[in-house]
Amino acid sequence: MNQNRSFIVQLQILTKRMLLRVIRRPLAELPNLIISAFFLFVYDGALGGVFGGTASGTPFDFAKGNFINFILPVSIVSASLSGAASGIYLVEDIESGVFKRYQSMPISRWAIILAPMNVGALRVLLQSGLILLIGIIIGADPVVGNIGFLVVLSVAFIWGMGFAGYSVAAGIKSGSSQGAQAATFLFFPAIFLAPTFVPREALKGWLETAAAYNPTTYVIEAMRAVMVDGWELDVLFRGYLAAGLFAALTLTLAVISARKATEKA
Amino acid sequence: MLAVDVKNIKKTFISKQDTVEAVKDVSFQVKQGEIFGLLGPNGAGKSTTILMITTLLSITGGKASVLGIDVATKDKEVRKKIGVALQDTGLDNLLTGKELFFTTCRLWGYSKKDSEVRTNQLLELVGLSEAADRRVKTYSGGMKRRLDLGLSLVHSPEILFLDEPTTGLDPGSRRVLWDEIKRLRDNGVTIILTTQYLEEADELADRIAIIDEGLVVAEGTSDELKAGIGGDVITFVFETNDDLENAKNILKNTVQEKNELRITVEDGASKIPGYIKDLSSNGVEVSSVSASKPTLDDVFLEVTGYRLEGSEDIKKVQEESKR
Repeated sequence: MNQNRSFIVQLQILTKRMLLRVIRRPLAELPNLIISAFFLFVYDGALGGVFGGTASGTPFDFAKGNFINFILPVSIVSASLSGAASGIYLVEDIESGVFKRYQSMPISRWAIILAPMNVGALRVLLQSGLILLIGIIIGADPVVGNIGFLVVLSVAFIWGMGFAGYSVAAGIKSGSSQGAQAATFLFFPAIFLAPTFVPREALKGWLETAAAYNPTTYVIEAMRAVMVDGWELDVLFRGYLAAGLFAALTLTLAVISARKATEKA
Repeated sequence: MLAVDVKNIKKTFISKQDTVEAVKDVSFQVKQGEIFGLLGPNGAGKSTTILMITTLLSITGGKASVLGIDVATKDKEVRKKIGVALQDTGLDNLLTGKELFFTTCRLWGYSKKDSEVRTNQLLELVGLSEAADRRVKTYSGGMKRRLDLGLSLVHSPEILFLDEPTTGLDPGSRRVLWDEIKRLRDNGVTIILTTQYLEEADELADRIAIIDEGLVVAEGTSDELKAGIGGDVITFVFETNDDLENAKNILKNTVQEKNELRITVEDGASKIPGYIKDLSSNGVEVSSVSASKPTLDDVFLEVTGYRLEGSEDIKKVQEESKR
């Protein structure tokens, strides 16, 4: 028996255990996935006729002939919210006393906190990947080629980790699942105070201002750049920066909360 | 070397609203290979004391060491030596018993192969082999406690801390756990357990510390504590309050509980006729009188001034086990 297990091995064991928990509750994965797919189909059905292929050459031709390319980023952003499950997983462990059991063992407390975040990251990749797959099946075709899908997934991953950090911080702070779930309430301002249905130039008044301050705007625009417009490096930079800053901020909050949670009272 | 040495430890919780002295001054020593019981009611400070010794809570004042290792400064070293099954440590209900053991073995540093062997050993030890592949959420309360106990034994700890190990269990499950705890002690494991059940402390603990309001108010073996009362306990029961009040004036050094008066004297049975005579000559009617050897219950009453409740169901366990 090697009581001085490395941090990485501890993290692997705890992540595997957390994955088992997720696998045992497959239905818990469905709501966010269904909502994200629902957005894709409903928006395409409702708006694709107006802004889609038939809009070619008109002032509404911002989808450049493929409305799935235009609307897919919205569904991907929605799917990336699945990262918020990290906080819920962690709080479940705190509420059930499993967290305390691990604290009583000579293992890294950071491994206990990071394991649910690892699983949250996997969840973001899986759900975003599935939505991407559905998008491909129904006609998504990035203007920059298939590498565009990788760009979309990578931005979604960073963005999703931002939500993971937020949910972990909120969960630890509140000590309840409800607190962690509060992260999902960010969904509405994140999605709807952004150029979700039309480009930012088409927004007006207060919504245009709100969108300018909403980091989701830049995330969606970066994804749209590779899907619709091509390699617009400044737009891509702003997208990665917005997602990165959001993730850095919330993960810092998570670390601060976690440090307090693991300190002895 | 002492298994556990606790010297004047204190714990104060300070919040914006309140300051609570959960543990005011607790000292005790536990020898290797014994079962040491911390007996007291809810809120007495037992669990807080255990949390401090097991490194899960900081110590406000005083010192504690486990096998000579300081709890405050070498917490990681201490955690390697101890097994902990606390009231509020939980089990992952979505995993099977086998998966829980395996994961815990891996975290303690066993290789995959050794983890499988150890998992099967422990499942056998706590009698859960048949339920090994069932998810923990399907386990009964008793099975969960045995699983909890088993998980605290993964690394073969020298010292085991059990916080109210049988609270909420049915009589049968309680008996099974008691037997298991004794067996561990017989195999050389030092056990420190908290309980609010007098009979549990009496049955299991080699030595007992009674904790009340954050202080150790008595300590010793069960026999020593009972002998400390000095003699037999005579219990007088009265029909009316007037009789009771009059009797209090006639009999000296009594302890009242509801409509009863207790008096502790040497050779109690021989003194009953004299007391009855004194009482009747003063017009006090005694409904019933009995003399008995002191119980831990009497000790608790003597040192705290009140009776510890909730022990009735434990008596059922003892009666059942005698059948």
